[in-house]
Formats: sequence, structure tokens, C-alpha cells
Amino acid sequence: MGNFMPFVGFTPWEIVVTICNTLITFLIVKKFLFGPVRKMMAAREEEVQTMYTSAEKAQSEAEKLRSDYTERLAKAKEEAAEIVGSATRRATVRSEEILKESSQQAAAMLKKAETTIEQERKKAMNELKDEVANLSIMIAGKVVERDVKQQDHERFIQEFIDKVG
Amino acid sequence: MGGVEINGPKILWQIPDSIPLIGGQPITETMRNAWIVMLFILCLCIFLTHRMQKIPQGKQALAEKAVQMVDNLVDSAMGPNNRAFSPYIATLLLSSFCGSLASLFFMRPVTGDLNTTLGWALITFALITVNKIKFNGIGGYLKGFLQPVFVMAPLNVLSEVATPVAMAFRHFGNIAGGLVITTLLMAAMSALSRLVLGFLPVPLLQIGLPGVLSVYFDCFTSAMQAFIFSMLTMAYVGDARSAG
Repeated sequence: MGNFMPFVGFTPWEIVVTICNTLITFLIVKKFLFGPVRKMMAAREEEVQTMYTSAEKAQSEAEKLRSDYTERLAKAKEEAAEIVGSATRRATVRSEEILKESSQQAAAMLKKAETTIEQERKKAMNELKDEVANLSIMIAGKVVERDVKQQDHERFIQEFIDKVG
Repeated sequence: MGGVEINGPKILWQIPDSIPLIGGQPITETMRNAWIVMLFILCLCIFLTHRMQKIPQGKQALAEKAVQMVDNLVDSAMGPNNRAFSPYIATLLLSSFCGSLASLFFMRPVTGDLNTTLGWALITFALITVNKIKFNGIGGYLKGFLQPVFVMAPLNVLSEVATPVAMAFRHFGNIAGGLVITTLLMAAMSALSRLVLGFLPVPLLQIGLPGVLSVYFDCFTSAMQAFIFSMLTMAYVGDARSAG
């Protein structure tokens, strides 16, 4: 006790001790403060980097999916339009066909009916001619009251009718 | 009137002469306090970085903030790519600040011993010299002393040597001066107290003014000197590294 170093002293031994102390403190600070903190910060940075990378990947994937879907949708629309178009075309063709067919049928029926009518008319005309001839002979016989050879009369009348129409 | 005594660090123990090499050397108060401070720093570091998590909380945020602050300081004072010096700068800051603040815990401040600050200054000097040689080559380093004209060589050598000496004395002087002033003030207050308020059993005037001054001499000066010493180290070493 009672022994003091000088107030302003220079002792190499103490300087050596100080330098050693400082070196040890340096190692302590480096190992126990900077080491763990730096490691933790690096780990955090890495994590953030990883998160960013994965997020970017997910985004690009989503983008790809979206474009894929858009493309597919467009294709489907196109296909639908094509289907509708072809159906319409086919329907048009078919309806035209039907129309043509029906008009043909109608024309044929009309023609047949005309033919039938003509035939009927001719037949009726012939019958009428016969009737008129008979009637005329009968009337003429009554009027003339003489026996006329029926064949001659028939011939005259026939000629007359033919002249008349 | 008790005599005012201002002494250097107390010698606590003498290493026995039987031990070779270091026999007979003293273990002083400064050394003991320095070891206490080192132990404190060790505990602080371990406490701050204990159970670290990805998401910082409380003390971990403090540790990270401190590391970032020192990194930024190093970046701004030494330029980029010098973060390897950060732990040493942090060591200086912590040792100096805690060593000075030891006086708040009834210990003689570690930095109130010239040998302590001179030891740090010598480390700084070694760093300066090593980096100058590393970045300029030994020839460039020696040629640096002849700038701007060779007549300046003695002055350049002097300024080179003066750098660590000035740093050591600046730091030591500030802390030791505070120590002296505080001791004198305490003695003066004690005497005044006895003179004016002699009827009281305690020196009442010792409460107050010395405490207020202690905020300046202990807290402010400690922080200031720690910062100055670290800044000077960074500036000199950074300058040495960028010279190439």
C-alpha cells in the first residue's frame, strides 16, 4: 500500500500490457459482436434475396400462365367462330337445296295438273261434239221430216262442225 | 484541512522476481481497471448478441445499430472497402469510453494513465506505417519524408512521430485533467463546507457543483475523447491507405 506509479509516467511494461489488452479486446469485439451481427445481417440479406428471387420466379410463371390462357382463349374463340361459320354455310346450302327441290316439285306438279286439265278438256270437247252431232241429226230429222240417210247427215254435220271450230 | 493528494495509479502487486522475463513488474490500478473494463465489454458483447433472430428485437437491434454506426463511420472517414477496420475502431471506442467512464464507478479511469493512451497511439502509429508501406512500397514510404523538398525531411519525421504522441497526450491530458480538477474541487468544497457549515457532520457543499462538473469532465469528455481518438485513427490510417 501507498506505492504509486508516477502521475505522468512512461513504463514500457504497462504499454505492452495495454497493447495486449487491446488486442484481446479487439478479438472479443470481433468475435462476439461483429461476428454474430455480420453473420445475422448476411443471413437476412440472403433470405431477402431468396424471397425476391422466388417472388420474381412466381411472377414470371404467373405471367406465362396468363399469356398461355389468353392464347388458348383466343384459339377457342376462333374455333367457335369457325364452327358457327361452317354450320351457317352448310345450313344456307341445305336451305337453298330444299328450296330448289320444292320449287322443282311444284313445277312438276303444275305441269302434270295442266296436262290432266288439257286431257280432260279435250275429252269433254269430244263428248260435246258427239252430243251436238247427235242432237243436230235429231233436230234436223224432226224439222225436215224426211228420211235422210243418217250417214250422210252425220258427215255433213261433222264437216260443218269442223268448219265452225 | 486534509492535504490534497493527486497520485498516479496505485501499485497493487509486484510480480515476484522468481518469474522470468516479467518478474519485478508492477500490477497497477490501471491494469486492474482495464481488465474489469474488458470483462464488461466481453459481457456486453455476449449479452447483445445472445440468441439472435432474423427479425431483430430490443438488444439485437441495438447491437446491429451499433455495428452499422461504426461501419458508417469507417466508410465516411476511411472510404469504402475498409470495413475490416470496423472491429478495431469499435474496440477503441468501447475501451476508451468505458475506460474513461470507469471513474463513475469509483475506479481510476483507465485512460487517465499515459501508458494506456500511448499504447493505443502506438498501435495507430503501427497501422499508419504498415499501411503506408503496403500501399506505397518501402521506397515510396521513405520518399514520402522528402516531400515536398528534401530539406523538410527532419520536420516530416518529427510530424510522423508527433502524431501518436499528440494523440496519446491529448486523450490522457483530458481525462487526467478532469481527474485533477474533480479531486481539487472536492477538496475545496470539503474545506469550504468545513469553514462555512462547520456545525454539520458531513461536507454538504460536496453535493452539487462537483456532480454538475462531473457531467462535463467524465461523461462528455469521455465520449468526446473516445470519438476524437477513433476519428484520428481512422483519418490517419485511411489517408495512409489511400495514398497509393
